[in-house]
Amino acid sequence: MKFWYIAIVILSIYFLLPLYILIMIAFSPAKYTIETIYPPLVFKAFTLNNLIYAFTQYDFVHPFFKSLSVATLVGILGILIGVPAGYGLSRLPGKIAYPVLILLLITNMVPGIVVAIPISAEFIKLHLFDTILGLALVQELITLPLATFIMQGTFSAVPREIEYQAKIDGASTFSYIKDILIPTALPGIAAAFLISWMFSWDEFTYAIILSPIHPTLPVEIYINITRGNELAAVAFSLVFTIPVIILTLFLQKYLKGEYLAGGVKA
Amino acid sequence: MNQNLKYLFFTIPAIIYVGIFAFYPSFDAVYFSFLNSRGQFTLANYKELFYFNICGTILNTVIVTVGALFIQLFLGLAIASILTREFRGKRAFSTLTIIPMGVATIVAAITFSFIFQTTGGYTNSFLHLLHLPTVNWYANKYISLLVVMISDSWKNTPIVMLILLSGMLSIPKDLYYAAALDGAGPIRRFFHITLPNLKKFIAIALIIRGVSEFNIFALPLVLIGYHPSLLTTLAYELYSTTTIYLSSAAAVILLAFISVFIILNIKLSGRK
Repeated sequence: MKFWYIAIVILSIYFLLPLYILIMIAFSPAKYTIETIYPPLVFKAFTLNNLIYAFTQYDFVHPFFKSLSVATLVGILGILIGVPAGYGLSRLPGKIAYPVLILLLITNMVPGIVVAIPISAEFIKLHLFDTILGLALVQELITLPLATFIMQGTFSAVPREIEYQAKIDGASTFSYIKDILIPTALPGIAAAFLISWMFSWDEFTYAIILSPIHPTLPVEIYINITRGNELAAVAFSLVFTIPVIILTLFLQKYLKGEYLAGGVKA
Repeated sequence: MNQNLKYLFFTIPAIIYVGIFAFYPSFDAVYFSFLNSRGQFTLANYKELFYFNICGTILNTVIVTVGALFIQLFLGLAIASILTREFRGKRAFSTLTIIPMGVATIVAAITFSFIFQTTGGYTNSFLHLLHLPTVNWYANKYISLLVVMISDSWKNTPIVMLILLSGMLSIPKDLYYAAALDGAGPIRRFFHITLPNLKKFIAIALIIRGVSEFNIFALPLVLIGYHPSLLTTLAYELYSTTTIYLSSAAAVILLAFISVFIILNIKLSGRK
């Protein structure tokens, strides 16, 4: 039993260490972190100056709102397309649903860079390059399969007898979906929205290719690091990460192996 | 059948969306890769890729993929095994193991760039504290690639762990009781019950992560830049410095490798 606890402690340190270092750099004077040859592994002094300097000297607000808008739009699109798709798939027999699931799975595997390069050429023609809508439409590629799998799982858990019951009572398919299915499945829908939001918030490859002029936060952080504004990059990273960690912990029960593996049921 | 048609109708928006934003651009990329800047058909783009050391780039990508998968599988199995048992602080530990999923790739990349800096890095600081020689993490290609593998594994082990855990939880407990009664110890139970029953989940995790490893982009871009280059960083470098046609050719080579994974995945999930 002792052996297990040692393993647990070592693994816990492994998972927390990078965050600890990020926090230390953000809240320590630069002379104890990025300006020394051998930075100390413990806090030597505490300061808020790094954060104040970063947020007053560098543009945080515009990238922040771009990220926020794109992620919210991605979440909404995920619901608009994912809810009907998840409902359809949960009611279709396997031999029809299966090819559709495969199609979504393949989409999730297509490399971002392969899709983004030609799309950038098309978007310039369509005036969607560097826009919120354009980026959201492309980022949806990552989140739609996940949202659909979550919705399929959620809707499958709603007994079909309720649907027959509603039909007998004279409800149409649409009023059944609107009045019974969606309210029942609300937690799943919220999870699909938030997970879509989260993946978009983090997304980097599409953002750097399709929205380089008015960047999202991840791209802005990258730009700062390439320009040597390390403290700004660290400060932004910290503010950028906290909401997502909270969301991740909150959504823990939806981050299941089955969904991540692409709706594969054992 | 009529019923099915109605349900299929609900999935049409998703299918159309995927067609427009995934399949059409993929064909576009293949088409672009055979064009020159005057719009004529050519194989010159692919020939030119050899100037940019495409073979070495493919090799680097394969090294990172295999190495990172190995680390993630090892850690994922260890953590999932721990989480199948009961112990004090299990909830806290399982929460902790999910945290890297909430850290954006770019943030992980930046943090690890501080950890693995040649001067002023935390790993070297730690080695210095123990009076060990410090390491130049970018001295050669292999150390650089190792840095990418380690950083990526921190961020992505939780996904592998979650997939393996859902597999482990699906193994009937009776099997373990029976084996324990027959006198099999924990190690034999792991090799004779857990691993064989987990085969399919391991395969799925390897494919899912293998695809992502081939697509790894933000981490190498921040940690090692374009040297040594990977398929994605090469395609991006060509996109920002040369023509869309040349970068498409690099992207298509990436797509060719991914297609192998896609076919493997379909074959594998087809066997229900």
